[in-house]
This record gives sequence, structure tokens and C-alpha cells, in this order.
Amino acid sequence: MDKRTNEEWIADLRAGGDQQAQALEDLRAIILRGLPYAIAGRIAPNSPQSEALVEEIVQETLMRVLEYLDTFEGRSQFTTWAHKIAVRAALTELRRVRWREVPLPEMGMDEEGDASYRELPDRQASPEDQVDRKDMMKRINRIIMEELTEKQRKALMAVAMQGFPLEEAAQRMGMNRNALYKLMHDARLRLKKRMEKEGLTPQQVLSVFEQVGK
Amino acid sequence: MKFKQAFHRLFGSNKQKPAYPQNGMQADKSEMMQKMLTMLSNTQDVELTCDEVFAVLDQFAELAAQGEDVTGLMPLVQHHLDMCADCWDEYKVLESIIQNVA
Ligand SMILES: [Zn+2]
Repeated sequence: MDKRTNEEWIADLRAGGDQQAQALEDLRAIILRGLPYAIAGRIAPNSPQSEALVEEIVQETLMRVLEYLDTFEGRSQFTTWAHKIAVRAALTELRRVRWREVPLPEMGMDEEGDASYRELPDRQASPEDQVDRKDMMKRINRIIMEELTEKQRKALMAVAMQGFPLEEAAQRMGMNRNALYKLMHDARLRLKKRMEKEGLTPQQVLSVFEQVGK
Repeated sequence: MKFKQAFHRLFGSNKQKPAYPQNGMQADKSEMMQKMLTMLSNTQDVELTCDEVFAVLDQFAELAAQGEDVTGLMPLVQHHLDMCADCWDEYKVLESIIQNVA
């Protein structure tokens, strides 16, 4: 069934008529064999929710395959390329389902002084270590406030610190995933360079935090 | 005083802690700080974007499945995958499809 060469796939999918219909049907079957690996561990397989989702993902994948056919450069098996498109469609949809109730973390909500320091777990940190860590946090935080835009801080907080999927954070911030990656890369570079200017390396700062409670 | 406010704007104690599905709990502030510092120490001047990685992910995944040294061949792709959880997840799924379905 999937014995076509890359060239045959392209030719059949471009052919129109029965030839194209048959190729799409075969491709559909191939994508369906791959999708369980995207769904596994993300939503219950065989649930009604997953069946509807699978159908939606397959439809979307086939549409995109036809739309982007000209961009296929033959650097992999055609079917691997199609699976790649299916995986992107699937995980995008599954992230949306899983995170839709979760708001992006808000910042700047309270101004209650020192409370957050006291909230930090004490663990076995010596008083000196705790002072070091507080000082370092203040210092890093000052750098963050001075170097980054509010958008960059928001992105860093959500994605780098709280594990928000890039794509979900991007969508809520009204941008696409690629642009958000760039924005965060720029933010990381700015912070890193400013820290270097102040004679701090990330590793060195990290060691202050790792000493504590480990 | 400014420092405290600044700190709060970034690490402010969230009163209404949302349930993060990732691991069921919110990392404390020093854990978050460690995560960020780790990202900073791995930051490179030149990094690929998600779109650039997506464009070659099928090729990368096939080479990896064939046992090629993809970190040596496509170091920027490998680096992006190490930095970007979204792309990493997609890569791991594609990898298991290549191993099991192809
Ligand atoms: Zn990415």
C-alpha cells in the first residue's frame, strides 16, 4: 500500500481524479497508524473524544499535505514528512485541549513586601546561604526588570519557569509560536549578556541556588 | 523597596495558584529561578526557530533512527530540541512513529 516512491507519491497526489483519491486514502491509512503515538499518554485512546479528535487531525493533515506539497524537498521518506505534519497538527490540538482552562500566570498583582521570601521553604539552608540566595534573587530580578520588556518577562515566566507550552502561551499573547521563540531567545541573550557585564555567569548564580536544600 | 516590587512583579506569590497539568504542582521560586538560569547557561547567540527546525525535522528524525550522529551533523537542530519543549515533544512522537510504523 505505501510502496510508492517519493516521486510516485507526489505524482499521484498531484494527479487529481481517482489517482489522487486513492493516494489520499492510502496516506490517510498511514497517518492513522502513526497517530496513536501522538495520543498515547495525552488523552485516553478509544474515548469518543479521541475518535473525534483523530478524524479532525487526519483531515487537517491531508489538507496541509496537499497545500505544502511543493515544499517537500525529498530529504526524507515522503511518509515521514506526512507523519511530521500529522504530529504537529495532533500535538497542537492536544495541547489546546489540555491547557485551555489554564490562564497565563499573571504578574504584578501584589505588592506585599517581603512575604514571598518567607514563603520559600527553609530546608536545611544555613542563614548565610539564605541571605546569599535572597541577594542573588534580588540582583537577578533587577537585571530582568531593567533588561526585558513586559512581554518578554511574561513569556519567560510562563514558558521557561512554569512549563507552559510555547504554542499555548503564544496564542494567548496574540502571536505565533515561532515569533515567541524568537522573542524569548532575544530575552535570554539580553539577560545573559547583562549578567556577563556584571561579572556573573549563569553557572555561578546557579550554584548559589543549588547549595540550598540539596 | 523598588527591588521588592520588582521581585514581586516577576516572582510574586500567586494567591490563586492555577492547577498546572504538567506536574500537578507549581515549582517554588528557587526552582523556577534554577530553570531559568539553566536555560540562560544553554543560550547561544545563534539558535534556530521552531519553523526552521520543523522544516528539517523529518530528515533529522530519519538520520537519528539510522543511528547517525545527528548532534554532530545538525547541532543547531539538536540544540533547539534541547531548548524547546514543544519541538522536543513533536520530535519524540515522530521518532516513535519511525521506529514502530515505518
Ligand atoms: Zn521549537
